[in-house]
Amino acid sequence: MRSRITRGALQITAAVFSLALLAAAPAARAQPQTSPDVQFSQQLDELKKSFTDVGRQIDESAKSIDTIKTPEEGRKSIEELRGQVAKLLAAVADNGEISRLGARALALAEEKLKALERENRFKPEEKQYLVNRWRELRTATEAAIRDLDGARKDFAELLRSLQTSEDYIDELMQIREHEKALQVIHQLSDGIREASVKLKKLLGSIKPPGS
Amino acid sequence: MFRPGIVAPTLLLLASCNQAGTGYIELKMVPGTARLPALYLEADRLEAKPGVTVLRQPVGTARLQADGGDGKVLLCHVVVKKNRITTVTVSPLERPPRCQCERPSGTEGAASRTCIG
Repeated sequence: MRSRITRGALQITAAVFSLALLAAAPAARAQPQTSPDVQFSQQLDELKKSFTDVGRQIDESAKSIDTIKTPEEGRKSIEELRGQVAKLLAAVADNGEISRLGARALALAEEKLKALERENRFKPEEKQYLVNRWRELRTATEAAIRDLDGARKDFAELLRSLQTSEDYIDELMQIREHEKALQVIHQLSDGIREASVKLKKLLGSIKPPGS
Repeated sequence: MFRPGIVAPTLLLLASCNQAGTGYIELKMVPGTARLPALYLEADRLEAKPGVTVLRQPVGTARLQADGGDGKVLLCHVVVKKNRITTVTVSPLERPPRCQCERPSGTEGAASRTCIG
């Protein structure tokens, strides 16, 4: 009886495992082999979409900060804002996926240009056409990387400013300076609006290479 | 298409990641040296560049080390908190490189120097 139950359990486990493998297999097959420059462009497109959503949330937070009546409410609001800014920073961090893809896309463009210099298969005009296109891609990739560098700097600055304000508010509350804490919270909304403007500018300037 | 075999483990993984969360380390390299020392955050070699590098890091305390010739030298501990940024300045001109914390904690001395965010 016990061995039948064990055998049954094993069969169920095997069936679940097989189903999981079957489910994973088509997904793995469907993944096309895309080059780093294409992946970089796709990721930048995705980034623009997600940044638009986060930007909207930041705008709403800036509006709500103006109406805050208590320091506790303000602290909670700043904590939520830190979470939103952290999402932005995660996307552009130096050890993040997009930064890595950007570096790989740039390296690919450099490699292709070097390889084309040695290339003898094509007619001169064909070779020149390919060289020009890869040069354009390299320039566009460098521009996108520069935009990401700027965004990283701005988001890091904003995150630091939010956490420092939060710490200052915390210190003020420890000495029961609630009015002063509220002033600090309300002053923050200007900085947040400024960050939102910068984010919108970034969204306008980032151009996925090859698009 | 719903694929329980993939969705369930992914959700579990995401849930476990969210419990601890992530924070950031801002690494500032003081300019003025042609050759930057190799830096390590725990076992990972950092692709540190002149200027500022921002790294996403799991919440917790990480050891920042430098290649000291005979082995790795501990520069400082870096405390990473959820959705916060810890700033560390490394001066490679000194031997071994020196770690300066924007917000220090603990007593001085390489073994105990700790930067918090």
